[in-house]
This record gives sequence, C-alpha cells and structure tokens, in this order.
Amino acid sequence: MNIAVCVKQTADTESIPKLSSDQSHVSDEGIVWIINPHDESAIEIAIRLRDQCNGSVTLFSIGPERVESALRQGLSMGADEAVHLLTDAMPIDQKIIAELLARRLKSQNIDVIITGEVAIDGGGAQVPQRLAKLLHWSCVTAVEELHIEATSFTARQPVEQGDKIHEGQLPAVIGINRRIMEPRYPSFKGIMKAKRKEIVKESVELESPSYSIESLRLSAPRSEGKVVTYQQGVVDKTIKFLQEKTSVI
Amino acid sequence: MFEITVVGESQGSELVSSTLEACHVASKLSNALGVNWRIIVDEDAANSAINYGSEVISYSIGEEHKQSPDVIASTVTEILEPTKVIVMAATSTGKDLMGRIAQLLSAPLAQDCIGFEIDSGDVLFKRELYGGKVLANVKLSGSPILASFRPRSFTPIDRLDTPAVAQLHSIDILLSEPTVILKPRSQKENLDVTEASIVVSGGRGLQGPENWTILEELTDALGPTATLACSRPVSDEGWRPHNEHVGQTGRSISPDLYIAVGISGATQHIAGISGSKFILAINKDPDAPIFRVADYGIVGDLFQIVPELTSAIRNAHTI
Repeated sequence: MNIAVCVKQTADTESIPKLSSDQSHVSDEGIVWIINPHDESAIEIAIRLRDQCNGSVTLFSIGPERVESALRQGLSMGADEAVHLLTDAMPIDQKIIAELLARRLKSQNIDVIITGEVAIDGGGAQVPQRLAKLLHWSCVTAVEELHIEATSFTARQPVEQGDKIHEGQLPAVIGINRRIMEPRYPSFKGIMKAKRKEIVKESVELESPSYSIESLRLSAPRSEGKVVTYQQGVVDKTIKFLQEKTSVI
Repeated sequence: MFEITVVGESQGSELVSSTLEACHVASKLSNALGVNWRIIVDEDAANSAINYGSEVISYSIGEEHKQSPDVIASTVTEILEPTKVIVMAATSTGKDLMGRIAQLLSAPLAQDCIGFEIDSGDVLFKRELYGGKVLANVKLSGSPILASFRPRSFTPIDRLDTPAVAQLHSIDILLSEPTVILKPRSQKENLDVTEASIVVSGGRGLQGPENWTILEELTDALGPTATLACSRPVSDEGWRPHNEHVGQTGRSISPDLYIAVGISGATQHIAGISGSKFILAINKDPDAPIFRVADYGIVGDLFQIVPELTSAIRNAHTI
C-alpha cells in the first residue's frame, strides 16, 4: 500500500508570535518550528499501516527551506521518502495548497492520503476536502478512529450529534485529528537513518491567492483578573461577582 | 438574485442553534450590502427554516444520504443559483461540508470566523490564528466566497412574524459513496460543549473519573444551558469522552462563562477557551497559569469549593 502524508510545518504552541515590521505577516523570528500536531499523528498512523501491509510512506510538504527540518523529523519517525515542494514563502491560500498537492500527487501511485484535519497556526481546516475533490477521491475528515483494508476503509468522525461512521473504497483522503493516536518519538537509529535519506526538492510557483490577509494584530492579553484565597465567605462573593459580570447566573 | 446563502444544518425537523446564528450573520451582511439572503436546507427542516428566513430552498436526498457530506455538498452546489457569499456554522459537520463545497465551486473559504466587517464594499472576515494569539482580517477574492462562523460568535436570528414559503428541489443522486451513518450520542442529553453558554470543565486536579459527580452536580445546578468539558490529560486518560476535550487539538469554545476546575492552564488548553467571555478558575496552586487568564480565581481545595459553589448557586436560584 502506497501512503502519502501531507505535512505542514507550524509554529510551536508555546512560541510567542510577533508581527513583521509592516504588520503584514507573523515574523519567523523567535518561532520554534514543529510538525503540525495533527499531521504528526497522521505520520504515525501511516507508518503503522505500512508496517501491517507493506508498502511505503511518502511525506509531502510545501514551504520555504526551513520546512526541510519537519520532513527530516518525519523520516526519523520512519517514513520512507519525502518530497519538498519548495516556495519562497509559506503559502496561506488553502486552495492553492490543495491544487499544488493534487497536481504532484497525481503523478504518484498512491492508495491513500493521510493528513491532519487542520493546521494549528492557520486553522484552515479544508485541505483534505479540497484535495479529495480535486482527485475525485472519497474523503473523511476529523477522523478519530480508522481501519484500512486492502481496498476499503472505515472511519469514525465525531460530530456534535454523535459519531459518523464512513465506509468507503480506496483511494481516499483521510483528515485525522491528533486524538486518534499519539505519535512516536524518533529513535536514535531512525534519526541516523533519516540523515542519509535524500529529500526530493521541487521548486513550485505560487499563483496569486484568492485568500489573503488584509490586516493582522496581536490579541490583547486578557485583563488581569482577581484571584482570592479560599476562606469563609469567598464563595458567596464569587456568586455576587458572577451575577454582576455575567448574565448567566 | 440571492446574493447570500446560508447552508442550514438540522437535527430532525429543526435547524440547529448555530445555523440560526449563521442566519443572523447573513441578515447582517444582507443589510450592510443591500442584497437578499436565503437558506438552503434539507426538506425535513424546511418548516423550521421558514420561520427564520424569508426565502427557503429545500432539497430532498433520501434517508440513506442524509449523513453524507459528499451528497449534501454536491446537492447544495447543484441547486445554488448565482450567489456571492455562502455562510454556514463552523460546526464539525459545517467545516467538513464547506471545504467540499468550496472546492466544487473552486472558491476561497475562511473557516471558523468570529466576526466580519465591511470595508469599501468588501467583506473582511475576522479569524483567530496561532491558537487565538493573533487576530486577522481576511479578504476573499472572486465570486462566490465562503465563510463558516464559530458557534456562539453571534446571537441567533429572531423568528419572523409571518413564516415564508419554501421551494422544494428534488435531486437525482449521482454519488453514493462512501456510505455514512450517524450513531447518535448515547450519553445523557448533555449539550455539546460548543453550544453551551456555561461550560464546567475538569482537569487532572479532579484526581479520577469517580470525582466527576461534583462537577455534574454543579452543571446541573447551573441549569440547562450548562454542560461539562475537560482538559486533554483527562480525555487521554479515558476519564471523560473525547468530545468533551477543550483545547488546541480538541474543541474551541466561546461560552459566556467558563469554569475551570483543577485545570493548570497549559497554552494548548488556553488556545481552546480564549473566546470565553468570563473565566472562573479554581485551583489549589496559586502559580497555575490558568489564573493569568482567569477573570476571577479561587485558590483552594476544589473538593471543598465546588460543592459549596453548587449549593450557593442552588440557593441563589431559589430566592
């Protein structure tokens, strides 16, 4: 089974974003780069699937040079190959991203694409669906449980009213949520092996986007609240405070 | 010509409350831009939709397709007459569907918006980036454009005085793969975390699933608009179901009141609750990061404080 995993390099949650001097984008300065946590679990699922049924796991990522470290980490976890679609800057238009990926993935013999349902920095939440439409494949997203057989899949997608169970045929695009499984840490052997692997680099041009950022600002931190130590009478004061400040008590 | 279209989501014969919020967005947009708006919805909910939108188009797709995002996306796209803006609630179902519709129309989409503004005729959509640390105004070019709105970012639209008349479209289904069925939640009838106006959330400080009774009692005392949530370690441990997990890799919520009990407040957790209007935190550790974002914090033993809070709320409500 040939498995493709689409990976985005994102800012670590603990990184404190700063805006560029012209306020047009979030500066790379001081950012610690990680694999988008949902994509990291997608790599884990893909590796396990490959180990069960033979085949290979190929990672695909779009972005500037720095993205290579995310691919290298994925290879250390146990992916077989990696393709870096090299751009000058990280594209933010999800339609362009999906089109680039679809064009590249068409030339490859792939049975299933596994990727995160959403990236934690941009929150786009649409690449799996778009990719599937472009390839005319089935798609399930926000998956928290997945079974893949030789030619078919069953996936559980939690929704507000319960769980949706999707049963379909491969090829398919599966967008998964981190909760499906914690990813492994790369082993020392894996890291050494990954160092010798070649990452395929292909430069791609970005079309003009239909999704663009008009303005950005840092969120104001929540104003410092009141903190009290529990003692007699505190709960009654709390209730009064809640009644004053909220409309729901 | 209907320039704004709401894709409705229904449960049984009723529109869900987040769809009524999306209708409110559409009506505000339609006032601002001076154009019409309408609702597209499954025929089962048409009689509900006509109470909120003056133009309703319903479709009939057969019972076996009602849970299929592909069938609904193709149906909506097919009966969609020229429209400029398509809006929907950013529920799990909504985000899934909008991604598909956007690509079928080869159009841009902004998911999980929390607001909008009009700037010289263009609609700018307000979105949170980097787990709420950055706010962006996003511009979508071309026609149509799509946007989903985070539940509870807008109030639901008011009912119309006179119900409208719905137009029904029957659709020939070309697609029936994959098959999708819905297994409804079997637990007690708790509100979904994204829909509740009060969310009572427990962390590892609760020490074990058997101690959730005190949170259940508090939620119960707070009434039918309150529900339970939890932090990630709690759902990872299997103490509570995953759908209650609030945080960066869980659900993002915007309740009027968030009560964090025994939750330290890791960055990942804060990312999911930053939309809360008021945060009350209870934790024994005065240095817990949750106190830096809380509007009101009580340092102390949650096993003592929560039951006292519950009875004080019961008393306040009976007065």
